[in-house]
Amino acid sequence: MGTNANELELTERLNLIEAMIGEGRRSCESWGWTFVLWGVAYYVAFFWAAWGHFAYAWPVTVIAASLLTVVGFWRQGNQPNTTLGRAIGSTWAATGISMFILFDALGFGGHLTDPHIFLATASAMLGTANAACSLMLKWKAEFVCALVWWAAAVIASFGSVDAAVDAFLAAIFLCQIVFGIYAMILESRRRRERGAAHA
Amino acid sequence: MPELPDLNPVVHGKLRLALLTLLTGVDEADFTWLRERTGATDGNLGAQLMKLEEAGYVSVEKKFVQRKPQSLYRATNLGRAALTEYVAALKQLLGEAVIRGQ
Repeated sequence: MGTNANELELTERLNLIEAMIGEGRRSCESWGWTFVLWGVAYYVAFFWAAWGHFAYAWPVTVIAASLLTVVGFWRQGNQPNTTLGRAIGSTWAATGISMFILFDALGFGGHLTDPHIFLATASAMLGTANAACSLMLKWKAEFVCALVWWAAAVIASFGSVDAAVDAFLAAIFLCQIVFGIYAMILESRRRRERGAAHA
Repeated sequence: MPELPDLNPVVHGKLRLALLTLLTGVDEADFTWLRERTGATDGNLGAQLMKLEEAGYVSVEKKFVQRKPQSLYRATNLGRAALTEYVAALKQLLGEAVIRGQ
């Protein structure tokens, strides 16, 4: 009787450790809104550039979206950092900075005249970031996004300009807007489950 | 037959175990975050954090953010090691219990 009680208590402790590890991880993961924000930003920049303001449409939109991202994370408040969170954040920050520098340098240098190069490079870089994060999180849905971006890169390399543009816009819709909303729904569900567990 | 390990009494307390586990998973966390995650009351949380601090398992940094006091807690290396040893001991004890039950 006593042995069983002890065993139960020990199992309970082990379960508590597992639950707290999960609790710490879950509460630090709130990224869905950034996908939606950046998806909208890509659309704004893309159509603004198509309107005839290519020189500053992308830099201005990217700076504005970056500021909104910083403000969004600041408003999330007292969320502690984890190694995983820092790794994911670093991957996206490094990708964003690389794209910003590369495309601005190419644009202002006068070498960004072929839309195939812009669309293929941007798609491939976004595919890389999604793939890296999906492997870190072991999240198949995000790896599908990486595959979609890489497919868009291949279409941009071999297809017509129209096909490249269509593939890029479709990839933004699927991998930023749809995936972002899906991630937000998952995060909201986890928050509700946590609330119920504490009630 | 190998001697069964003792469980560290400082780590064994339910709330202290939860706190130490949470803190080993993050760089640092403030009081509010720990309260939300554990669902503990302010008084109990403060008392258990104090015990962990006294044992050297947790360090605290007090500062003001926008004129409001904030306490940031971190698991120390000693705390991480204590939790690792505790989990190993727990697994060993549970293993023995399974063997005894067969």
